[in-house]
Amino acid sequence: MMPAFLAALNPGWLLIAVGLIAMLLPVRAVRQAMTIGAPLAAIALLALAPHGVALSGVEVVGLDLVFYKVDGLNFIFGLAFLIASLLNAIYAMHTNDRIQDGMALAYAGAAVAATFAGDLMTLFIFWEITAVTSVFLVLQAGTRASYFASLRYLAIQVLSGVLLLDGIAYVHRYTGSLSLDAFTSLNEPGALIIFIAFGIKAAFPFLHNWLQDSYPKASVVGAVVLSAFTTKLAVYAFARMFPGQDALIWIGALMTIFPVFFAVIENDLRRVLAYSLNNQVGFMICAIGIGAAGIGNPLALNGASAHAFAHIIYKALLFMSMGAVLYRTGTTKASELGGLYKSMPWTTLFCIIGGLSISAFPLFSGFIAKSLTMSAVAYEGVSDPAMVIVWLMLLFASAGVLEHSGIKIPFFAFFAHDSGKRVKEAPFNMLLAMGMAAFLCIAVGFPALVPGLGYTWLYALLPYPIEAASYKPFTLDHVLTQMQLLVLATFAFVLLRRFRLYPAEKPGIILDTDWLYRKAGLGLAVWANTVWAKLGPAMTDLFRKASASTYNRLEAAFSPRGQLSQGGLTGGAAIWTAVVLGVVLLMSFVTSQ
Amino acid sequence: MSDETPAGRDASGRFVRRAAEKANAMSQTSREGIHPMAKVLFGWTEARNIGAIIFWGMAILSVALILVDLLIKRHETLDFANSTGFYGLWGFGAFTFVVLMGWPLGHLLRRDENYYGDAGGPPQDIDPDIAAPGASAPPRRHEGDK
Repeated sequence: MMPAFLAALNPGWLLIAVGLIAMLLPVRAVRQAMTIGAPLAAIALLALAPHGVALSGVEVVGLDLVFYKVDGLNFIFGLAFLIASLLNAIYAMHTNDRIQDGMALAYAGAAVAATFAGDLMTLFIFWEITAVTSVFLVLQAGTRASYFASLRYLAIQVLSGVLLLDGIAYVHRYTGSLSLDAFTSLNEPGALIIFIAFGIKAAFPFLHNWLQDSYPKASVVGAVVLSAFTTKLAVYAFARMFPGQDALIWIGALMTIFPVFFAVIENDLRRVLAYSLNNQVGFMICAIGIGAAGIGNPLALNGASAHAFAHIIYKALLFMSMGAVLYRTGTTKASELGGLYKSMPWTTLFCIIGGLSISAFPLFSGFIAKSLTMSAVAYEGVSDPAMVIVWLMLLFASAGVLEHSGIKIPFFAFFAHDSGKRVKEAPFNMLLAMGMAAFLCIAVGFPALVPGLGYTWLYALLPYPIEAASYKPFTLDHVLTQMQLLVLATFAFVLLRRFRLYPAEKPGIILDTDWLYRKAGLGLAVWANTVWAKLGPAMTDLFRKASASTYNRLEAAFSPRGQLSQGGLTGGAAIWTAVVLGVVLLMSFVTSQ
Repeated sequence: MSDETPAGRDASGRFVRRAAEKANAMSQTSREGIHPMAKVLFGWTEARNIGAIIFWGMAILSVALILVDLLIKRHETLDFANSTGFYGLWGFGAFTFVVLMGWPLGHLLRRDENYYGDAGGPPQDIDPDIAAPGASAPPRRHEGDK
């Protein structure tokens, strides 16, 4: 029997507390034992938590705050966050960085605490803590680029928080409640503002570039940690509060498509993964949009949840493998890499497993997750022709995922032309974390040879487990069509390479929407500053002359030596003053009647 | 040192030790920087004509998957997806389109590495044993600097 205080303890709070303590601990071994032990303890707490009841909360100034409430939807997200936190702690064991260790754990804890929050205000508080803790992971890279990127990152994340708080104020003003009940329309008070706040964190199109700007500039460990939490917390928030919003379908479909074109020309492989992350979140957002409509309802939300779980693991694996490459070679630029399989065969193998998973090859986790979403959209397409277009967009994006994450990342880092770099294999702790993630990618994606294991283990944890149990991903149709898509797309790669039609990896940065504030916005600010610097003195001089002139005229009229004191009635100035005063008094008297 | 097991000791110790030594050897990168597992896992990529083998292998596999599609009656939710080879052709077309779009997009969007003035070295938590390329050469100018 678990003590009552432990049963009521949000696992995220445990991680935050341990993270803050770890940050103060100089003894590396103790600190690392804590960062590994805390996620394990948190998983145990979560496993024992009853579902559907508020396990802890408090009433503050008339607001009912619910700190910890587990249900079918947030359980799967929270579990994925905790597993990712464990993998991150193992991956970071070769480092001796108190701030990074502590902040990584606190960041994960904030995401977990937000996921299990039972009201909007608690969600907001931990939403903001994720922003504040995660920025250290960018800063810890210690470069000037990371310093500027972290400032931009923090500004955008805080903007999301401010909008969320604004939306919450509207909701509370009009409904008197802070509940996490789903909005039925974006026209409800506060709904649109909260939608945009979530959209910033989910990296919606045109709001996305904070992700590609900051993640690739983070530290080796930091990028791995960052890949798991912020965007998936936003996905959870959408699934909680905006299921079935039509806008999400099209936004999600667009998100799956546009990053593919940036990824194909991007040279920095960690930035390619950031675009890939954008693309994958698009699948989840689209599924949530489908979520509440007709027959697709349980299938789509199951799809978004399963995709989030699988994605957190395989994306972490891919970031880990690129982190290992960066750690050993000092770069992740495709134009400087190649042939690393000779020095880092285990890292290569794990990266390929991550690539197979994200590409949704049968027997890997992406396949059993993405199938749910694709089937849900196809079901909607039967009655709604517009959904057929969405389905085709997702199918297009599936080939795009294979291009940038399934082929480009492993091929250009580990094979392609031999860069001549001969380095050591990744440290053992990195290999262990990658091995564990790779194992999960396969274990979750495998058919249920033993009842309850394989993909059925994950399906049983989804928000609608009964509907999930009736879905069979390993049908001949599914496997054949998916293999057709992937094999012929791979053949296209081979063909394009053979005929030298595949663009070479070239050094350089790729312009994206951050150009608007990093170049155009900065240019505008510099121009305004220059103009003001030149205009300012001139305007000051003009103002001084105008003031002096006015003073001189007034003095010439009203001073004892002024014109009004000369000739005519004595004390003309006094008479005029009395007249003006009289008029004012008269007007006051009239208007007060 | 002799490999003989001293009298009175469990002979299995020698097996365990040799296995441990073997495992250790398989995890050590050689002086030339080649990891012994590279040959085991990916030695096949160094085979002669591997490019042609992969090309024709993928071509044959692609055709085979289309042929299998002819023999199987699928039951897709969307009718047009039942067409033979639909998924394969869509995947081939989408992949080709994305890659070929890389040519004009690269010309349109690619800029110098230091376009924003923040080019620099790698993060500080890389392997301390390696000479960080670029770390010794400070960026020409920095974002926000005059």
